[in-house]
Amino acid sequence: MIEWIRFWITAVILFCGILAFILEVAGLFRLGFVMNRMHASGIGDSFGLGCVVFAMIISSGLNLDSLKLFLLILFMWLTSPVSTHFLSRIEVNTNPFIARYVRFGTDYGKK
Amino acid sequence: MKKRFLAWLYGDQDVMDGILDNFNKPDVSHSELKKITRAAEEEYDHRPEVLEAIGRDRARFRTIYLVIAFISCIMLTLVLLYTVSLLPEYGAENPRAVEVVSRYVEDGLEETGAVNIVSGMILDYRAFDTLGESHVLFTALICVMILLRIDRKNQRSDYEDYYTVRTDTYFDLSTDPVLRLVCAVIVPCILLYGIYILLNGQNSPGGGFSGGAVLGAGMILFSVAFGFDKADRFFTLKVSNIVTFVSLGFYSFAKGYVFFMGANGLENHIPKGTPGAIFSGGMILPLDIAVGCVVGCTMFGFYSLFRRGSIGGQI
Repeated sequence: MIEWIRFWITAVILFCGILAFILEVAGLFRLGFVMNRMHASGIGDSFGLGCVVFAMIISSGLNLDSLKLFLLILFMWLTSPVSTHFLSRIEVNTNPFIARYVRFGTDYGKK
Repeated sequence: MKKRFLAWLYGDQDVMDGILDNFNKPDVSHSELKKITRAAEEEYDHRPEVLEAIGRDRARFRTIYLVIAFISCIMLTLVLLYTVSLLPEYGAENPRAVEVVSRYVEDGLEETGAVNIVSGMILDYRAFDTLGESHVLFTALICVMILLRIDRKNQRSDYEDYYTVRTDTYFDLSTDPVLRLVCAVIVPCILLYGIYILLNGQNSPGGGFSGGAVLGAGMILFSVAFGFDKADRFFTLKVSNIVTFVSLGFYSFAKGYVFFMGANGLENHIPKGTPGAIFSGGMILPLDIAVGCVVGCTMFGFYSLFRRGSIGGQI
């Protein structure tokens, strides 16, 4: 019974993660502007990877492997958003036509 | 007084002109001054007797260069042809290749004491090759230093480098609080992981090259996040030189000693230890550490030289 419940929880979370990865791939290939594409890939890199590895933790139980998987989530969640942050910062700093796509500061919310 | 005040108010005249700055203001503009100096230099350099002497030197050098190049090319060709003549025929069964591979796989653990056969291969059977690779890295660092290092002869002032300095401070990542916070957590883990790879080269995949690369990458991340000033406090040109020299010297000395005293079936009196322990594999662990130090110094030196033209900020 316990094994059966564990299997279904794992399957549901794993399915959520795979859905996030599908969203990531679709957004990465369908969207045009670089910020939108980074947002789409951020969904997969944070939420999707977290879901998949968390499902692995549940299915493996509490042992050394699950600790390693937890560290994997920790480091990926630390490093991946930072690199995305810098990519977007470089885009804002170097793209001369950035105002076509993004509203800054006081302009935010205006039509 | 009032006239001067009004002139200052409307920006026609700077009151502090000649008092605070512009001590040695030339009469001509900067580019004009450069042009005049260059013309004078060219006139001085292109005197007929100097040109004649340079031509004579160049002709002599060219003759010697051609003779030496011809002789060394011929000798290299002969050596390579002789080596080719010793190879087995194309398509024939090559017993040496089969023997060597099976010897490595079957007797590698026993003869080198390393669980990781690759480490045993590159640092014991073929350590001379790895020695050459470390020296190639060192030579590459020297070449990059020759090309990119800023010294007193080609140093430019911040005024001449205005655009570079502007963009460098504008895109400087060390002012970013996000990166500083994350790197304060990540960098020690990366360095620890690099040391782990370095020390476990004989037992698990890893070793000098990969561990040194991880260490160098951690150092690069550290200097990106916290600025070169922090990295300069412990990694100066002197430290880099000493670490590289000691590592390469130790490698050459130790491996030369083992080659002359222990190779070719002679008794090797360096203990191998129990396979799987950290202190095992005889000379493999110290050699791994030496190679890792060289690789780490080279990687960080490349980054530092490409970014700002010096290692450790000294000129």
